[in-house]
Amino acid sequence: MGTTKHPRANRGRSWVGALLVAALGHSPVTHAATNDSDRIAVLEQKLDQSLQLIRQLSARVQDLEAQAAHGAPPEADKRSGTAAAAPPAAAAQPGTPAAAQTGAAAPTPPDTAQRLAKVEQTVNQMAASAGQHADEGLATHGFADVGIGNRNAEFPQYQGADIAELDFFLTPRLGSRTRALFELNFEVGSDGNVGVDLERAQIGYQFADSATVWLGRFHTPYGYYNTAFHHGQQIATSLRRPRFIEFEDHGGIMPAHTVGAWLTGSERVGEQKVTYDVYIGNSQRITGGKLDMNNAGNTHGSTIVGGNLGLLLSGALDGLKVGVDVFQTRIEDEDPLPPLPAYVTQVRSYGAYAAYDTDSWEDIAEFHVFNNRDLTGHTGTHHSDAGFLQMGYRAGRYTPYARYERGAFQQSDDYFAAQATGSSYYRTALGLRFDVDLVSALKLELAQTHLTDRVISSYDEALLQYAIRF
Amino acid sequence: MFTSSAKLLLAALLCVGCATASAADLYLICNSRVPLSAADVRDLFLGEKQFAGAVKLVPVDNSAAQTAFLERVLKMNAAKYSTTWTKKSFRDGINPPLVAGSDAEALADVRRTPGACSYVTTPTPPDVVVVSRL
Repeated sequence: MGTTKHPRANRGRSWVGALLVAALGHSPVTHAATNDSDRIAVLEQKLDQSLQLIRQLSARVQDLEAQAAHGAPPEADKRSGTAAAAPPAAAAQPGTPAAAQTGAAAPTPPDTAQRLAKVEQTVNQMAASAGQHADEGLATHGFADVGIGNRNAEFPQYQGADIAELDFFLTPRLGSRTRALFELNFEVGSDGNVGVDLERAQIGYQFADSATVWLGRFHTPYGYYNTAFHHGQQIATSLRRPRFIEFEDHGGIMPAHTVGAWLTGSERVGEQKVTYDVYIGNSQRITGGKLDMNNAGNTHGSTIVGGNLGLLLSGALDGLKVGVDVFQTRIEDEDPLPPLPAYVTQVRSYGAYAAYDTDSWEDIAEFHVFNNRDLTGHTGTHHSDAGFLQMGYRAGRYTPYARYERGAFQQSDDYFAAQATGSSYYRTALGLRFDVDLVSALKLELAQTHLTDRVISSYDEALLQYAIRF
Repeated sequence: MFTSSAKLLLAALLCVGCATASAADLYLICNSRVPLSAADVRDLFLGEKQFAGAVKLVPVDNSAAQTAFLERVLKMNAAKYSTTWTKKSFRDGINPPLVAGSDAEALADVRRTPGACSYVTTPTPPDVVVVSRL
């Protein structure tokens, strides 16, 4: 220690030493706050290292002081000027390493002083930029998944490997009350080609925790699954959505998206929490055998209107959410060509759900009843229903799960008959999710699907999926 | 000459002192204009509470004390905290807390930002509100 006499080298080491002292203040060691013996041992080790550095630093400073005393400081004024030109030291908090560094730099040689000033400037800029992360900027997140199987998980007519989707969602920081959410999805469609979809485009104003109004295109808040997971395969335990609540262009028979206005919020009532959603938007239509959410509006001004009321329980039932939902819409089937009349159906859905999400369990049950009426007077009123029960147990990085789902859809109801995937079915599935790390998961699912009315058939699936989030 | 060495040593020792003292206490601090109660801390850092009266809350995580905070207050580990926020962001379109790198940085954020709240390991100056000692 202190054996090297080269002044430039000494100055360099001194500078590094000062940096290390400054860095101590920001070291994670400063903030370790657990009581276990390992952390204490680590702290003691780092304390010893710190003391050793201090001794080295002290020797360097003494060397520098000695050199300054012999080498004359003709540029003392220049040093002062440099210090003045540096950003104000006021940015450094009193008592912080940066402030201490400022006080210690005075008697050092001019070159060292300049370098210290630069270091100080850099530290100040870093501190300032760290503070500026506050209110503005564009946060980008996303999901992606790929798969392989004896069938495609979404389109069973295909088999082999597949790219499922790449999903970006943006949540820009716009201010204290204005909010925005955009979700852009690249996904493979039923024709095997990659398509781009603006899944969500919603801009909102938050009045309070209990009330946010959104305008735009959003996930229709029916039941639990549609808003909880949607395209986020990595955060969903299972490999895919229940078939009847798939996306409209993936075989779903419910309107997964709505373009309109949505009022949502929550309020604590004692220890429990009540959540609610009320929405109104363009009624959907059926075209090409699929539901379409009428992004541009519709030609007849009819609407979908719905609501969802949930209760988050606490105490012994912490993690349990129960709720009910309802929506009504007017769906026009645009596929029949003139002179055939277009069917128009009033779709009314009542739902109930329960979700139990804890460190160990993720269980979801959701059930919907449809009371549909043919507004063109041809087929009258129809009753159908659909639901699923999924249970998963989190055992470390492994989560085995099982799901049963069924849809019993009246084929005399044009709303279901007009949809390519509107046939009744039931499906059983067993799966295993393995969390590779925090942001990626491998899922294996074995499933058996039975189609029970339009076409009587069944098929088995063995599917593997690799899903990530970022 | 000797004084500068002493100052430098003192600064370094203070830093080390902070390091050893931080293992025990956590203080939830807020900007002086934030009317927040200790019962709201969990909701604040999980995005369930975004307003205190008319004040928009700005939670700031302190990465240097986060492990202790998550264990003591939110009763979860960093992985679950991250996943919880991913779901929250995706579902509700809100962003996770900002992250400060140290007590000093957290303190500076809280001082500077109306509605900001964070947690630190050392007692704080009087220009911020100590909501609770955790």
